[in-house]
Amino acid sequence: MRTDSKSWRDPVLVATVAPLAIVMLAFFVIPLVMTAVLSFQTTQFYRLTWTWDLKVWTEVFSKPHYWTIMARTVAMALVCVVICLLIAFPAAYALATRLRAYNAQIQILIIFAFLTDAVLKTFGWILVLDKSGVANWLLAHLGLGPEALNLLFTPTGTMIGMVYGLVVYPLFTIYLSLARIDRDLVLAAYDSGASRLRAFFEVTLPLSRPGLYCGAVLVFVLSLGAFLEPKVLGGGTAPLASELIRQSFETRVNWPLGAALTLVLIAIGALSLALGAAVLMRGNSGRAAR
Amino acid sequence: MKREPADIATRTGVDRRAVLKGMGGLGLAAAGAGIFGMPRSASAAESLNYMCWEGYNAPTILDPFQKQKDVAISVDLITDSAGGFAKLAAGAAKDFDLVSSDSPWIARMGPAGICRYIDDKDFAEQYAEFYPQFRAPFAPLQFEGKATGLPTRWGWVGPTVNTKFDKLETWSSYAPVFDAAYKDKICLLDWGDWPIMPLALYAGVNPYVPLDQAALDEVRKVLRAAFKNTRAIVADLAIAQKGLIDGSFRALIGGGTYATSSLRMKGHDYIQSIVPEPKNGLKQGIIWMEATGLIENGRDSKVAADFLKYIVSPEVAKQLSITEATCNLVPNAKAEALFSDAEKKALQMDYMWTAWDNSHFHTVAPNIDDMLAIWQEELAAR
Repeated sequence: MRTDSKSWRDPVLVATVAPLAIVMLAFFVIPLVMTAVLSFQTTQFYRLTWTWDLKVWTEVFSKPHYWTIMARTVAMALVCVVICLLIAFPAAYALATRLRAYNAQIQILIIFAFLTDAVLKTFGWILVLDKSGVANWLLAHLGLGPEALNLLFTPTGTMIGMVYGLVVYPLFTIYLSLARIDRDLVLAAYDSGASRLRAFFEVTLPLSRPGLYCGAVLVFVLSLGAFLEPKVLGGGTAPLASELIRQSFETRVNWPLGAALTLVLIAIGALSLALGAAVLMRGNSGRAAR
Repeated sequence: MKREPADIATRTGVDRRAVLKGMGGLGLAAAGAGIFGMPRSASAAESLNYMCWEGYNAPTILDPFQKQKDVAISVDLITDSAGGFAKLAAGAAKDFDLVSSDSPWIARMGPAGICRYIDDKDFAEQYAEFYPQFRAPFAPLQFEGKATGLPTRWGWVGPTVNTKFDKLETWSSYAPVFDAAYKDKICLLDWGDWPIMPLALYAGVNPYVPLDQAALDEVRKVLRAAFKNTRAIVADLAIAQKGLIDGSFRALIGGGTYATSSLRMKGHDYIQSIVPEPKNGLKQGIIWMEATGLIENGRDSKVAADFLKYIVSPEVAKQLSITEATCNLVPNAKAEALFSDAEKKALQMDYMWTAWDNSHFHTVAPNIDDMLAIWQEELAAR
């Protein structure tokens, strides 16, 4: 097979890459640099003072409560990833196999729910999770007594909102992976004497890994920035990183602190993903060696 | 048979070209509406840019002034007074003419060069209509003998109680906030410094004077104790009000009349905001106030000054008092005659001077950033 070697001197290549590069530079790299610059400034009487100073970073690294909130955010994001994958995989599997005939209709319904405004969806959960809400009404009619559930304004309430909002991402990434699997490979496994369960674990699951990883990354990154759910469904009693950043920017009018905490959150997210990727690559190379 | 999108298009006679033509038509229609049906902004002789809280932007308030003065008013709503100040301080002041915000922030804007000082003599007619407590020289908006803006709305911060569940006497002190019998029945309003101040007062700390480390430690202790009993820290007024009505919250702390009067106006007259009794000689209530200032943008707009006179006039003050989102008191005494008995009852006008007498005025707190940092730390450790 002949492959073309590309050089950065190739004007066609430069012209192809330039638009995306400019967009990334303007809307990602430059704002990130500005955020970093801001974190080295100070505020005085609620006004930004342009002085190069490590005061904010000293505060970030010396106050443990910032790290408590960051750790809580990462833990919530990881739990959210696990729950989303556990819900999304069987649903995607059913869509790709048993519910194939209705797959278009179901996908439209899912997309409709996905595109509904996040504020509406989050506030809608209040009506369900409230002590006098729909969930407790149903449970009371099932004989479980009044106010059987007390989930509103708890971390569990936050998690329900986060999972509801994010589960659609792995659902579609896993579905796309499963839909691309060659059915003959599964049939070949059966012909070789594999049980349904073994064929699933030996063929289907490994081949759906790209969708799983992609969905997990999407859920993790978006969970790190969860704002509405902890505020509305969590009742603000166990704040996550985004609320900490909002408080710093808006209530305390301490923009340098908000900028520093933003960078910390981005760094934690990037490091977590790098760590996850390294672990997976080691696992994959181990399997390949066997 | 699996129906493909193209198939659907053919059957319904809708193709991509038709859709694009339709969209183009819609675009032209929108542009046409923009040119021919343009609101005042394009045709008015003058324009004003106004940064304000919700309520000040009501068409019933802005429209008559726009027509009368042939001016177009563009509104930028703020959701946080501190955020509004920061935006103006960061350079947006040059784009605005007027600002309505919490009085400590308006008071800061004069010395900070964001607002121009007003000459009280120019507003003598307006001050003459105010209750005596708000007349010139009105101390909370004064700096070195110069005034920044005029007061526009006010109320008090105290426990907001549903009297169907609790007697008002129970809340003659903030003690139930820390009582185990009220565990998971208290709602703190996440409105910046508003919930911190009354709790500091309960701890015996006056937050409006410079605080030493011992006083800040007391603030920390009282916040920690309050968080233990609190069910939710809510920023959204509707959620807080819903919880209060259905009894899942027995009291809202940090809101006061701002969270109450609109409910009372809708018939929930069993909801009341009161001011607790003084504790060890320290008043426990807080009077909050909003003010409107003229922004220093180099234009020295006369029409902006006219708007300031307009917004505090009796008829407009009454409109500003009763808005869709919240209902509040106004400083104009002449406006009182315009309220019906039901409106006066909803605004708890029979109680307002009792509340005033037992309250501190919400001014610039010297250690507010320390207290906000403590709030953040204690919330994280919860």
